[in-house]
Amino acid sequence: MIRLTIDGQEVTVPEGTMIVDAAARLGVDVPVYCYHQALGPLGACRMCLVQVEKMPKLVTGCTTAVAEGMVVHTKGSAVEKGRKGVLEFLLINHPLDCPVCDKGGECYLQDYTFEYGPGHGRFQEPKIQKVKNGPINDLVLIDQERCVLCQRCVRFMGDYVGEEQLLLEGRGVETVVTTVDHQPATSQFTGNVIDLCPVGALLSAPYYHKGRPWNIDRHSTVCPHCPVGCSSLATTRESHIIRLEGRPVPDRDWGWLCDRGRFGYDFGYHADRIADSWVKERATSAAQATRDVAEWMQQTNAQYGPGSIGFVMGGQFTAEEAHLIKKFAHDVAQSDNVAVMRNVRGYLPAALNGTFQDLTEADTVVFVGVDPYEAVPVVHLKLRDRLRHFSQLKVLGVGPRRLTRDTMPGQDYLVASQDEAVFFARALAAAAKDGPGVQMLVDSVRDYVLPVSDEDIEAFGHALVDAEHLSLLWDGENAAMAEVLAVLAGLREKPTAVLPTFGPVNWRGYEQAGIDPRYGNVEELLNKTRTGEIRMLVLWGADLTRDLPDRQLAEQALAKADYVVSAQVVPPLDMPYIDALLPVATWGEVEGTYVNMEGRLSIGAAGVQPPGQARPTRTYVANWGRLFRQDFGLDDEWDPFDSAQGDLIARAGNNQGPAQAVPRPGTRDASQEWTIIEGDWVMENGMPSEILEPRETEFAARVSPEDAARLGIGEHGGYVEAQTAGGTVMIGVQRDPAIVERTLWIPRGSRHDWAQHLEGLVKLTRPEEVPSV
Amino acid sequence: MKPEWNQWAREFKEQYPGANSALMPLLHRIQAEEGWLSDETIHDVATLFDLPESYVESVASFYSLFFRNQVGKKVVHVCVGLSCALAGSDRLMENLEHRLGIKEGQTTADGEYTLLEAECLAACNQAPVAQVNLRYFEGLDPERADVLLESSKSPEEEVKP
Amino acid sequence: MSQKYYLLRNREVADIDRMDVYLAHGGYQALKTALTDYKPEELVDLVKKSGLRGRGGAGFPTGMKWGFLPNDGRKRYLVVNSDEAEPGTYKDREIIEKNPHQLVEGIIISSYATKAREAYIYCRGEFLFGAEQLQRAVSEAYAEGFLGENILGSGFSVDLKVYRGAGAYICGEESALLESLEGRRGNPRLKPPFPAIAGLYGGPTVVNNVETITNVPAIVTYGAEWYTSMGTAKSPGVKIFSVSGRVSRPDNYEIPLATPLRSLIDDYAGGVLPGHKIKAVIPGGSSVPLLLPDKLDTPLDYESVLQAGSMLGSGGCIVLDDSVCMVGATARLVKFYREESCGKCTPCREGTYWMTDVLDRIERGQGTEEDLDTLMDIADNIGGKCFCPLGDASLGVLVSAMKFFRDEFEAHVREHACPMGAKLYDTVNH
Repeated sequence: MIRLTIDGQEVTVPEGTMIVDAAARLGVDVPVYCYHQALGPLGACRMCLVQVEKMPKLVTGCTTAVAEGMVVHTKGSAVEKGRKGVLEFLLINHPLDCPVCDKGGECYLQDYTFEYGPGHGRFQEPKIQKVKNGPINDLVLIDQERCVLCQRCVRFMGDYVGEEQLLLEGRGVETVVTTVDHQPATSQFTGNVIDLCPVGALLSAPYYHKGRPWNIDRHSTVCPHCPVGCSSLATTRESHIIRLEGRPVPDRDWGWLCDRGRFGYDFGYHADRIADSWVKERATSAAQATRDVAEWMQQTNAQYGPGSIGFVMGGQFTAEEAHLIKKFAHDVAQSDNVAVMRNVRGYLPAALNGTFQDLTEADTVVFVGVDPYEAVPVVHLKLRDRLRHFSQLKVLGVGPRRLTRDTMPGQDYLVASQDEAVFFARALAAAAKDGPGVQMLVDSVRDYVLPVSDEDIEAFGHALVDAEHLSLLWDGENAAMAEVLAVLAGLREKPTAVLPTFGPVNWRGYEQAGIDPRYGNVEELLNKTRTGEIRMLVLWGADLTRDLPDRQLAEQALAKADYVVSAQVVPPLDMPYIDALLPVATWGEVEGTYVNMEGRLSIGAAGVQPPGQARPTRTYVANWGRLFRQDFGLDDEWDPFDSAQGDLIARAGNNQGPAQAVPRPGTRDASQEWTIIEGDWVMENGMPSEILEPRETEFAARVSPEDAARLGIGEHGGYVEAQTAGGTVMIGVQRDPAIVERTLWIPRGSRHDWAQHLEGLVKLTRPEEVPSV
Repeated sequence: MKPEWNQWAREFKEQYPGANSALMPLLHRIQAEEGWLSDETIHDVATLFDLPESYVESVASFYSLFFRNQVGKKVVHVCVGLSCALAGSDRLMENLEHRLGIKEGQTTADGEYTLLEAECLAACNQAPVAQVNLRYFEGLDPERADVLLESSKSPEEEVKP
Repeated sequence: MSQKYYLLRNREVADIDRMDVYLAHGGYQALKTALTDYKPEELVDLVKKSGLRGRGGAGFPTGMKWGFLPNDGRKRYLVVNSDEAEPGTYKDREIIEKNPHQLVEGIIISSYATKAREAYIYCRGEFLFGAEQLQRAVSEAYAEGFLGENILGSGFSVDLKVYRGAGAYICGEESALLESLEGRRGNPRLKPPFPAIAGLYGGPTVVNNVETITNVPAIVTYGAEWYTSMGTAKSPGVKIFSVSGRVSRPDNYEIPLATPLRSLIDDYAGGVLPGHKIKAVIPGGSSVPLLLPDKLDTPLDYESVLQAGSMLGSGGCIVLDDSVCMVGATARLVKFYREESCGKCTPCREGTYWMTDVLDRIERGQGTEEDLDTLMDIADNIGGKCFCPLGDASLGVLVSAMKFFRDEFEAHVREHACPMGAKLYDTVNH
């Protein structure tokens, strides 16, 4: 540790700390532009000049490491003159167009000029003209004239994300930030440069000229688009969310967002948003719909007794709302048939659930079935951060496609989804045969043939067993993995963390509210519906036909139920079965708790009114309670934080019994030429966005480059004919080197109709005529 | 991409402990053939080095002798350093502009000449000086721009950089 | 004036750029002596004893620089800076074009002394002929067994490559040069670490100027005492001065250090042009402050020139006479730094742009009294606040010109025109 004095205050900091960071610990603000802790020192802007005793010149606080006994002054005439000079330089070629700049009022160039800058400008010469409001892509604009060339954006995209789509072009005063060949940047992290830009150079295209700091409100919230639950700030104006920004959390989170999260906030105002009630295909008032549904519930209960109504939670509701549904079901509707909608069968006990902190300490990371870049993008960034600090990070992928990539290099073990647990079990048997539970685990799959060599299996086993700090990301596709993960964690004496990447985004919150989120639960509920034990389904955000892996069960249950009530934000695929469609308030319209994939509780803010007749879950539940004429206590004391430790859910309670054998996967039909695999892809999470339309593709399915060539699919994708058991459908595909031959990847829960009609895929063929796009 | 570029890239890369050191030699080599570095060339070179295109573009745009726009067959660099200025380099430039009918920074319509300023060319004892395709023309008479243009046409001077 | 040349031996021996001629005149004998009679450490000592200082501009003692290399077994590099582009300086170009073998010989000896396994000559992009000459000399040296594996049976091996820059003065700054050599934009690096610790490809690296290294064979041949017999105790030896501007015989002159400036101009360069008087001299390349005629008796050694208020720098001596407008000359030089600023740091990038425009305006008679104070303040805001020395370099002439010739600047303001009637400084339009 190093002890030094800054502005007369003593501070002790670790060796290697830069003066600016040491000062920040004392609450002493040293202005910076180019310096960013996540990106490291650059020394370009010269804004952070400070005086160090015994040094002949001012030094930059961002590039000067502390030294024992150092005496630093961040004030005084020399420093003030230095700062003033730098600011004046930064302003000479700046257009000074603050009145029409979106960053006005949120701009460090303004702030520092106000605080440290010259009162007036002396520059009278012509300013250099550069590109104004040019596109970085459809979502991000650049005003090169306002740029201070701090290189934060270029360094972020290049060094941090590893997708070098921004560059410095030219030299000297003519230098500009631009894109490759002046073509749109395609990374899904481009929006972060807006937050990183300390001035008005990089702007949000959808926010362009939409708000000023004095007519907007900002709400601290979490992103609802995937289980990462990124901390963010929602900007609202006139009851519209008009922007989402990253919200850094000191010492934990840099505040990065993916473009899906940053720009996908507009699903609430999408043309598809359900704002009216529909009962038996007729529009009606929400009040009438509420009465009708209450009547159906009363009628069902009267006729079939307790337990005849089933409730399924999906969507993006808060834990409190889940609690209300659960409580209403039990107290009023007299049913404990309450389940969480699932699109995969896996479940992870809280005891095994790691945190993002584990990723910052991991020496080995295993992706089980999941490509974090696509499914949980900001986790990919967190791993990039780890890679920057620990280049030896071992990255391993296990699944039916390649899961590592250029920006996350590692080794892939290609095994079918159904074989993932077998592969793990056998790997453990090879590397830790005496480990507790290992022999049991592998009992029925010892001779199961895997497409991986014994050496590779053993090497993988050693990687699992020998890792100092093991983190696994798991997509939940192969349910038997839960057993494997429990055994793995049990036999390892070192930290083992699993991060579940599956949804729905707040399933852990629903679980905290007392609803069993395991697939078996929703499966049982629907089986009971199919057999007539449950007569009425209340689907709270759940879309069975879209998401349930067992599509037949979903359809049979829906068809069998006397009443299907569905509360939704956008029309579900269940639509043909629905008797009452209820418009419901969603993220951004209701305050409440979200629990993310690391089991962290955060509060989603309410900033805007729900549109039309959409109303909060609480309103529906309260009205039904009243219509049932019961004294239904909404105001109980349940608080999701009650059982939490800090803002993390409790991890204890892993009552894992003795190890169970990994079940032997069924044999595949050898006559089937193609394998269909599914994966989570944030862009296809079912929430519509007008803003993100330019990023959407009709060609959402993917095939290997070899198959693409055979099918005549070019660089940008195209249509192919899929012959299935049920007939021929036209599907949009593109080439993806991560996909192996004769495999068709489709996004899980895709909004594309064809994704639901691929059962019994026989083959893909080049269409006779390609429909024009 | 010309087939030989791959060969050149391989040869240059073998010469240096860091493969990227071969980038500028390859850009020089290709520019010597092609005259300039088009977007396609940058793309191809990035491919040859397995580098992001942005990297190659950023490097190429930093150096004034890499041309990212098409230039004339003969690139005339007139030194405007102080010593040459004292010897009349501005008049030389004006005369060349007049003679070629273009301004500094431009290329003649027939694609023969591009006229550029150069910072000190390190030939101050021979001021004013100019280079045509990086070959020196020293001790020039500012009033006799034609001498520079005529002599640069002679075959023995026709050496590509 | 008959003279013995140690560096510009081409002045005495025709065609010494050819291997046979160079060998016939004792070429590569110093290499043989170094490899047979010296251990590397002894050579470092020899160069330390000779007092040789870096000829690129900073004047840092060469032997001491060599001594900074850590003994940690990592592969070492020697990089020779031939990115000569400082206005008024053209000495290195003569060496590489006309006497390249002596440079190559110097590199091999210096590599042996510093235990470098690989050496590079980073040659300015504009020096196409120079690069060709060097490449030829290097190839010839390989053919003779002076380069490559086990040189002359000594067990010492070094490879030498000629690398061409592509037009960027900033690459003369050693860390920017290394960036460029590694295939990047020529932006200076953050220091520390210094090249001696982490230079080329992260390895221990010595970066020396062409002229510096060209001295080495002569020092090996004639000894440290010979070298220290010239110049002063702190600035021993010979140095090449590039004289240009308003003199009768602008040329490179190889003379002992501490030769008076007046002698360089009058005895060697033939004096100021007939009918004119010296107004000021830029003694060490465009980055250093002006000297007035009252300092003409200053001995040209590092200490004396510093004492006189300027710097010896690269030895590029530009003579300005009474026909020269100081505002125009200053504008021209400052514009050079604007063109060559890499753009990384704010004060250099924006400051040189601003100063150029203000100077141009003053020269065209559109300046105000206030502009003069603003200029000095801009200079103050650049000075000592930039990432690398380029920003400070842009101020040397400006600040001294404003000090010594303020009246001339004021006259431009007062008369709304250049009193000299000069139109050669219309800098911005080009």
